[in-house]
Amino acid sequence: MERQEIIDGLVEILKTVRTINQEKLVGVTEDTDFIKDLNTPSTEMINIVAKTEQKFDVEFDDDDIDGLGSKVKDVVDLIIKTKEKEQ
Amino acid sequence: MQIPGRKVAVVGMGGAFPTCTGLPDFSKKLFANQSLIREWDKALAYGKNIRSSVSGFITEEEMGLEAIYSPLAENNYPETYIDKLNRIPDGNLATADIGCIWAMLGTQEAIKMAGWDSKEVQSEQTGVVIGSGGAGNVILRIAWHNFYELGKKTRLAGSHTVDRTMVYREAANVSCLIKNRGVCEAIGSACATGLGNIGYAYRLIKFGLQDRIIAGGVEGTSLETFIGFDGMQVLSRGFSPEESSRPFDVNRNGFVCSFGSGIVALEEYELAKARGANIIAVIDEYFNNSDGDGDMFYPSFAGQKRLWKGILDSSGKKPDVVKVHGTSTPAGDSIELLSVVDVLGESGYHITAPKSQFGHMLGAAGSVEFITALLMLQEQKVLPCLNSEKLNPELEPFQKADNWTGPEKPLEAYRDLIPKESFAKEINTVTCLNYGFGGTNSAISVSRDI
Repeated sequence: MERQEIIDGLVEILKTVRTINQEKLVGVTEDTDFIKDLNTPSTEMINIVAKTEQKFDVEFDDDDIDGLGSKVKDVVDLIIKTKEKEQ
Repeated sequence: MQIPGRKVAVVGMGGAFPTCTGLPDFSKKLFANQSLIREWDKALAYGKNIRSSVSGFITEEEMGLEAIYSPLAENNYPETYIDKLNRIPDGNLATADIGCIWAMLGTQEAIKMAGWDSKEVQSEQTGVVIGSGGAGNVILRIAWHNFYELGKKTRLAGSHTVDRTMVYREAANVSCLIKNRGVCEAIGSACATGLGNIGYAYRLIKFGLQDRIIAGGVEGTSLETFIGFDGMQVLSRGFSPEESSRPFDVNRNGFVCSFGSGIVALEEYELAKARGANIIAVIDEYFNNSDGDGDMFYPSFAGQKRLWKGILDSSGKKPDVVKVHGTSTPAGDSIELLSVVDVLGESGYHITAPKSQFGHMLGAAGSVEFITALLMLQEQKVLPCLNSEKLNPELEPFQKADNWTGPEKPLEAYRDLIPKESFAKEINTVTCLNYGFGGTNSAISVSRDI
């Protein structure tokens, strides 16, 4: 799966989170920070992670979630890493 | 301790009421002797597994709300709600169950009516005291089902299971919405919760600890809550919806489990007066106690008599109208009527039972019924006790016991105290009564500002 394809999928998830300002979802890149750039409430991060697992059909380890950064890149890396581990 | 001369005014009110578009519609329907009780499709869907199917319920659509169901959890788990009328910000909706949203909407109405500005609302002297009877049962049931029965991870229920189900969730959500800096708490006393929160709020102002408080009780629509009472065999059945709640009637056979929200804005009297506020009423006194007989459920004649002594001694006012708890249960109504008559006598006042019109709103009952008392003071009309067609012409079994010390006439002798239809009369003072499981009793006396 291409990294841009994953980013597009994450944006689709973010569109379902009503506490995120939807106007900020234009131009999301790997360097976009969920909390600093999108003002995502920290309590919503686990909801985004759970929806990410469902959308990309992966199951993250709890340790990986605990150590997850707040940038889009961090989630993309974790999806790829987890998929590789599952193969 | 109370500060002599310090009084508490009611300056705003709002809420969620079954079948009603808002407070004016609620008032109009009540004084037109209408019932707000309907057949409930959600209960009917369970066929013979549920005894009662009537309720004063409120749908999401009726409140201008829409549930967004989580794509992760099964069984329609409401991830959040959309306010189709844009009254509550999405960030506040994310932490709210349906009852919390009703509490926030009622708060907005009450503050608007009170005329408080943002400086007054966000003051250290402004508090929030709101409670509910049940837990966040709708949220909890589905979250637990996904974890225990379906074997899903905890995170699939999302990160808002706690804030949307905790005991004082309504107070917390309202406080986060209005950003007050004073107290934020909830009082829980079962079916006396609504009045208990208003009573506690009254004391906080009366004792000089706060100047303004948003207070009340809420019970969000929940079949999960309904089935608990249905299983106890205490809900009304066998009547048409509008005839199901029949306090004091000889054929009553249980209460109608209902839902709603009642929120009021209280303010220290002189502050309200100084800013030219419309003073809806003045709270004379609040008094509460416990039966002390160790019985969780059965009402206590002695406990209610002590309640009356407390409220009359401290308020010094005999009411023109007694707004009773009047649930429509066989035991509750007879004890209550006889304790009122024992204290106030056989004439000179009237008894109204709003549950006859909208059922028993549990944790919201006391606050919504307090609002009905305010409406009676405003309209100068007594609300009815619908369906009180015939009172028992025979003595109650407990009246025949050797140790009975109360009135010795059957309930039928007090027929004239209980109007079947609304009527006009001069009303200066209303006493509101509510009781709850555990033997808790609450009374508040509220008067016109004249």
